[in-house]
Amino acid sequence: MTHTPWQQLLDSATAVPGVRGAVLVSVDDGLVIAESAMDHLATADVAALASAIVQRACRVSAAAGHRTPHSVRVSGEAGTLMAFAADGLLWLVAVADPSAELGRLRLLLGDLAASLRG
Amino acid sequence: MRVLEPWLAAPLTGLLRESSARLALVMTASGQVIAQHGFTRSLDVMAVAALGAGIVATTAELARLVGSSTDFGAVVHHGDRQGIWLAPFDTPRGRWIGIVVFGRDSSVGLVRMFFDRFAAEVRDAAPSLTPPRELLAEGFERELDDSLRALFGEASR
Repeated sequence: MTHTPWQQLLDSATAVPGVRGAVLVSVDDGLVIAESAMDHLATADVAALASAIVQRACRVSAAAGHRTPHSVRVSGEAGTLMAFAADGLLWLVAVADPSAELGRLRLLLGDLAASLRG
Repeated sequence: MRVLEPWLAAPLTGLLRESSARLALVMTASGQVIAQHGFTRSLDVMAVAALGAGIVATTAELARLVGSSTDFGAVVHHGDRQGIWLAPFDTPRGRWIGIVVFGRDSSVGLVRMFFDRFAAEVRDAAPSLTPPRELLAEGFERELDDSLRALFGEASR
């Protein structure tokens, strides 16, 4: 898949009301592959921290004898971070405000991640 | 951790804690070691500092040759078990270089992020430059000994 379709997928996630940005992350090194975000969102930092969370979640699952998770969600007072496994070490990550439509975002990210795998 | 300048300890501790790095070295652009963490032999520190300063100088020249208006921001070597992050940064004391060695429990992204914060903290915390003292021959050996003791402890003697 070329960079342009990735950008279109990320743009569609960012179009959901309340979503501050969507980033395609290489979890292995915590770097941004593609991004669509508001200017003030530090996507490189999001990628680094999200990849650390995903890696730890995968280790916890493995230690508990479970399969590798296909999604990770972290919520706080200031918002929510959702990450979905895409293709190999690529994860689709979105950062949303507390007011965002999280149900819609979760369904959309799941579909987008599946299309990236395909 | 060993630091020549005490104010450097807090930023370096933060970098090591947050990035889960294994080894760290801070030095001047000419390779003079200012702080180190994780190295046990002075010979290793000197060799890493010299090689790191050489790499930064080489990549800066390479950037100039390919027409880049600025230096490359950082040099990263990423192996199977560990990676090396090597980057220059400007301080009130001149241009310094940081080397961070990290394992599988960290990542390039994490080290980049916390190294940028470390560099910003160093810029903010660095005391203003004092005029250089005249280096006297009789004081040189004592000052060198003090510096080595501060960096490596009594084991270096």
